Amino acid sequence: MKGKVFDGLKVAEFAWVIVGPAASRYLAEHGANVVKIESHKRLDTLRGTSPFAHNKPTVDSSMAFGRHNPNKYSVSIDLQHPNGKKLAWKLIQWADIVTESFSPGTMEKLGFGYEDVKKLRPDIIYLSSSMQGRGGPHSGYAGYGMNAVNLCGFTEVSGWPDKPPAAPHGAYTDYINARIDALALIAALDYRRRTGKGQWIEQSQLETSLHFFAPPIMDYQINGRIMGRDGNRCEETAPHGVFPCRGDDNWIAITVSNQEQWRSFCRVIGQPHLAERKEFKTLAQRKKNEDELEKLIADWTVKFLPEEAEAMLQKAGVPSHIVARPKDVYEDIQLKDRGYFVPLKHPVMGTQSFEPQSSFILSKTPRRINRPSPCLGEHNEFVFKTLLGMTDDEIARHIADGSITTELPGQFKVSM
Amino acid sequence: MYNQETKSALPGYRILDLTNGGCMLGGRLLADLGADVIKIEPPWGSPSRTGPYYKDIVDPEKSLFWWSYNANKRGITLDIARPEGRMLFKDLVRNADAVLESFEPGYLGRLKLGYADLIRIKPDIILTSITPFGQNGPKAHYQASDLTVWASGAYLYACGNPDRAPTRIGFPQAGFFGGAEGAIGTMTAIWHRNNTGEGQHVDVSMQESALSPHLNVLQMWDVSGVEFHRLGGALYVPSTGVRQPIYFACRDGYVMILVQGGNEPFISSSARLVKWMEEEGMAPEWLVKLDWKLDYDATTMGQPIADRVGEAVERFTMTKTKAELYEDGAIRRQILIAPVYNTRDISEDLQLKARNYWEKFEHADINDSVVYCGPFIRMSETPLEYRRRAPLIGEHNDKIYRKELGIPGEKLDSLKEKGII
Repeated sequence: MKGKVFDGLKVAEFAWVIVGPAASRYLAEHGANVVKIESHKRLDTLRGTSPFAHNKPTVDSSMAFGRHNPNKYSVSIDLQHPNGKKLAWKLIQWADIVTESFSPGTMEKLGFGYEDVKKLRPDIIYLSSSMQGRGGPHSGYAGYGMNAVNLCGFTEVSGWPDKPPAAPHGAYTDYINARIDALALIAALDYRRRTGKGQWIEQSQLETSLHFFAPPIMDYQINGRIMGRDGNRCEETAPHGVFPCRGDDNWIAITVSNQEQWRSFCRVIGQPHLAERKEFKTLAQRKKNEDELEKLIADWTVKFLPEEAEAMLQKAGVPSHIVARPKDVYEDIQLKDRGYFVPLKHPVMGTQSFEPQSSFILSKTPRRINRPSPCLGEHNEFVFKTLLGMTDDEIARHIADGSITTELPGQFKVSM
Repeated sequence: MYNQETKSALPGYRILDLTNGGCMLGGRLLADLGADVIKIEPPWGSPSRTGPYYKDIVDPEKSLFWWSYNANKRGITLDIARPEGRMLFKDLVRNADAVLESFEPGYLGRLKLGYADLIRIKPDIILTSITPFGQNGPKAHYQASDLTVWASGAYLYACGNPDRAPTRIGFPQAGFFGGAEGAIGTMTAIWHRNNTGEGQHVDVSMQESALSPHLNVLQMWDVSGVEFHRLGGALYVPSTGVRQPIYFACRDGYVMILVQGGNEPFISSSARLVKWMEEEGMAPEWLVKLDWKLDYDATTMGQPIADRVGEAVERFTMTKTKAELYEDGAIRRQILIAPVYNTRDISEDLQLKARNYWEKFEHADINDSVVYCGPFIRMSETPLEYRRRAPLIGEHNDKIYRKELGIPGEKLDSLKEKGII
């Protein structure tokens, strides 16, 4: 029988929120067993983040959490409790990979730092991801991707030159870091297969993310040029922008990359003479007269719905796409064709659409989402009994002494 | 001597890299991990040798973009569109583990170098294709650019000022997401091949990766029917429509301060901010008395209080620099502050220096050393190493074609003459 790529691979996920959990999804979508180690006493921030199914906020009904955790198992244990620690050790013993994304020092304090784990499991692959890494004056800096996006320079170069920066929404850099982590984990597996050795993968999210911004940094260090923001314009291309369409807040993105496309573009907008006009004939001239050029284009795009403009421009071979709104992606014919959204029935949320984390399809072992995100502690029995071989009595004792958590200590709190 | 079997995470997997633009990052990541990545470009030089340039000298050999995303790779030239070039490419594929490419879907197939052709030469080859929308489907042949792909993922819609067009990140990102996905997909396929002997075609969609950074924006629509509105970085509270300001001007730029109340996890940061303002005589009495839990709860508060708090905070931040707000506020007082760094701030950052992040790298050909971003991740047993700067045009032609493939010198000269290499 043909298995999935990572069948039999085991991940103990202490990591929370986005970076670590998104990283392990690449493995989970290709067959790995990922167990999330959670607790009722300290909820994953995403469990309190909107939106909530049926607008009923509960610990198990956030689709912000759901989006980042399908295909996984969840156990709920109290890591402060001595018997909870024992359970965590059993999971570490079981695992090939341990992930964590607390502030540096937290896992060490709990007794599960890399050095502790290595003593028991020298072949463990252990991923630590934090905002600014171990060591150095800013190591203790706590924060989300919302903070990092500013430190990495992305905010400074987003928005308009005549306005304050317009930060990329949300936790942008988390989605860079998750990818790099997934790659490093697979590379570490490859190394372990060859040598039998595990290792510690230590990530500063700042250091990782700068690779998506490297040339502008070199441009400063070598040429002294500080990159600013310039809307959607591009030095090597014009027109290159986002233009208004008919309707409220409707937009289309258009890029004209060469002279042939420029002539086609002018024909589409019904002004073929424009292509030869001296103000716009060459790229240099179009850059020089870009304000006027963009106004001319907007006068045309505003007459059409984004889809209408896109159809005309694509037919003429001009790079273009509607600026998709959230509703649009759920109707996107291409995403449908690739089976991007996967509807699955969740015990609390009902049927919800889940997204893959892998943006690739392997021809023989395609990604698969076959289980919805877990409820908190949903798999205590499955994990401890079936995967770890504990008895019902043992599990009952952990529930009785509170080392397996079953209830929130107070009222469930919703963040934004 | 450097032994890739035991010193680097990956053994010297032979990866042929035909990608362009940001997608070149994928091969770079694999090369940093230890793979033997060969960048293949046309004899006249890759179109991805773009600006900015070293000392602003417009020269394909001085492209900082090229340097950034091709370090640790070797480089050869080859015109795969010509029959003799195709033959040579097939020779290379015989000894390769994977091929990375970012041409439009079907291009390699038309050259008889598609997946179906390559498996005839090497049955377990892995072909990783990175394209805007994937290999098949109604948009597979869409004309696209980094900007239009970004637009297709709806993340563009969520970014920018409310009163103007949505804006991208000024340094285009979709290609890098595609490249990173290509690297993960390739390694996933290599792991599978090592287990089973079976190769496969990896089909990356940049559109899908452009959907990724959304956090909860898509689900807000799908689950609650709420459409997110871009606010130029302010926090948008979907249940009330309130916008909480979190970006503030300061003396030399901008900072973000997560000023939040209610049930937000780091509400104590807001209290520490007010305490600091108070110490410096800049906290109005009403702000000192503000109950962050009750009065600044995102789910019940109104816009006037958000604006009032924002104005008071900005009056304070305007008295300080980014560095002061970062060091005194974020580091010393544990307030959730992040300076809006520009490329100079990044270059001078204390933490990056303390962790010895920057790597100085010799460029013998220009008799200078150049500073690069350091390891993209730290691996205790297999630290990432800079082994070589990005290749010059055709730099390793002789080494790879003659010494490794065994093509005689005269044949190479003739290929060179014909413009194939």
